[in-house]
Amino acid sequence: MQTQDLVTIVPWTFIAQICNLFIQVFLIKKFLIKPIREVIAKRHQLATEELDKARVSEQEAQALKAEYEKNLSEARDKANEIISTANRTAIQKSDEIIANANREALAIRNKAENDIALERKAAVNDIKDEIGSMAVDIATRLIEREVNEEDHRKLIDEFIENVGESK
Amino acid sequence: MEISITGPRIFYTIHTGIPILGDFNITETLVVSWIVMIIITGLCIFLTRDLKVENISKRQAVAESLVEILEKFVSDNTGGKPQFAKMVPFIGALFATSLISNLISLTGLRSPTADLSTEAAWAIVVFIMITAEKIKSAGLGGYFKGFTEPIFVMTPFNILSELATPIGMACRHFGNILSGIVINGLIYAALALLSSKLLGLLPGLLGEWLSHVPILSVGVPAILSVYFDWFTGFMQAFIFCILTLQYINNASES
Repeated sequence: MQTQDLVTIVPWTFIAQICNLFIQVFLIKKFLIKPIREVIAKRHQLATEELDKARVSEQEAQALKAEYEKNLSEARDKANEIISTANRTAIQKSDEIIANANREALAIRNKAENDIALERKAAVNDIKDEIGSMAVDIATRLIEREVNEEDHRKLIDEFIENVGESK
Repeated sequence: MEISITGPRIFYTIHTGIPILGDFNITETLVVSWIVMIIITGLCIFLTRDLKVENISKRQAVAESLVEILEKFVSDNTGGKPQFAKMVPFIGALFATSLISNLISLTGLRSPTADLSTEAAWAIVVFIMITAEKIKSAGLGGYFKGFTEPIFVMTPFNILSELATPIGMACRHFGNILSGIVINGLIYAALALLSSKLLGLLPGLLGEWLSHVPILSVGVPAILSVYFDWFTGFMQAFIFCILTLQYINNASES
């Protein structure tokens, strides 16, 4: 078979090889570089989107957290207020109850004292009567004669009166 | 024993009748070039099949790292200038074609790069790119004025050195591949001769018969091909691409 010289430049081969090189550039661009760059760009875009999304969610979470904290502190304030109101009311109530009890106790005591005084008066009157009749009786027996009861009564009454005073 | 190392075979000749260009020969160089192009393109299509954004396959990982290595290679050798990002497909094609062309000799086909026409074609494309870059950065006047610097007398030498760039690139690549072919041919011949002489020492019919079997040609050339095919093939593709980028980068700074 015919062969070409070992070291030579054949014009047509030269031109064909230039064309081949450019065709190869086109093919490599179309079938390797372009699709790979596209997929890398797509991945990059996806990553950026994910990051953005994460950033937005974080912001939302922060806002929610702030809101919760606000609500929580409000609730705590409210609870404190309720407790202090309750305390205040309780103190007021207990004071009232104690005052009432004191008042009532005082009233009971006063009544008791009045009762005692009345009882004593009654007792003194009874004793007075008894002593009167006893004295008349004794005197009657002592003198063994009819006395004018009316005179004696006056006398005895005077005596008892003195006794009550001396007591 | 006679050794002959010839140029690529001519399969078919198309008579064109165009004066200077001559007849169009379908040579081994062209046919193997087309095979190389089919291999590269097939590989690209295979690697980028079924691309996904997440959970990528090993195949896709290889394709992505190839593109990334290529982009890094281009940007490293051009000082990271963004205007050279468009060089990526060209350098990729140049490197892949050169590498596969060099390595295809392992299959017994003749490398397209063992034909000076191939390297000359690549070098002239690179030369035109360098010149275009120089004119773009210095202007047409500045480009021609550059030849007269530092003094007017230097003009012829400057023109020579300018022309030496593509010639040097083409001849360097071609010379390395051709020398590989020549040395391989010599070694095969020498080993065949050696085995025939060694086995011929055996007595009688056995020695006569075995002396026709080039037993040493099995194995030994494979070790040498590690250097002459694998190392040189890779190195020359790499050097050609690095030089292309460096020249173009320098041109943009002149």
